[in-house]
Amino acid sequence: MTKLDPTVKKETAYIAVWVIALSLGMQAVFLLLRRWALPVVTGNLVGAVCAIGNFLLLGITVAKAANGPADKVALRVRSSMTARLLGQAAICALAVGLLHTNVYATLLPLLFPRVGIAFRPLVDRKRGKTAETEAEGSDLLD
Amino acid sequence: MEMVSLAMGIMLGLCGVGAGIALIAGIGPGIGEGQAVAAACEAIGRQPEAKSDVTSTMIMGCAIAETTGLYGLIIGILLIFVAPGIFSGVLKSTVESLADVIK
Repeated sequence: MTKLDPTVKKETAYIAVWVIALSLGMQAVFLLLRRWALPVVTGNLVGAVCAIGNFLLLGITVAKAANGPADKVALRVRSSMTARLLGQAAICALAVGLLHTNVYATLLPLLFPRVGIAFRPLVDRKRGKTAETEAEGSDLLD
Repeated sequence: MEMVSLAMGIMLGLCGVGAGIALIAGIGPGIGEGQAVAAACEAIGRQPEAKSDVTSTMIMGCAIAETTGLYGLIIGILLIFVAPGIFSGVLKSTVESLADVIK
């Protein structure tokens, strides 16, 4: 078993936190709308696992492409993307069709990583500010 | 009644065709991602010390590009599982109102 790239680990953890937070928010919205039921929870679980798993596999593919030989990189990434998309479609269709999960609760978490990425610059800016203040504090102590 | 079942059949078939067409949206991001990663590999080759930054940006960029494909996937699944119910409801109500008008 190969070791995960630290960058992939870090980014996947960031996305997982966002997916979990937004999933909780979605559950709260369903609860407020009085539509909360077991299919919503199972659908959310399937969607969230799909979203995080897709991001992790994307990261592994990209990291392997970056570390490995440069030839056929484009082809490898393209085939990985197609396989992941079809896999997600199959899992979501099976969950909705066989497990009778809520369609919206299953599909919406797939878009949560995009929301996390959209807020990334804000988080980075905050982190940068914190790092700067920490550095200033250590300078003052020195 | 035969016309209604024919219309339902056509509608279900068109929903399936629409879902298939929606999944074509996955082709574009795949090509784009491939080119982006190939270019990033070249960049890492030129500047190996920036590997961590380039990989991080590349993963985020690929995830953004992939969202376009996911929109197609979501529309496809909605067309298969949700749209037939909505359309059949609309069709039934239209047929009932037409029957009332004819009576």
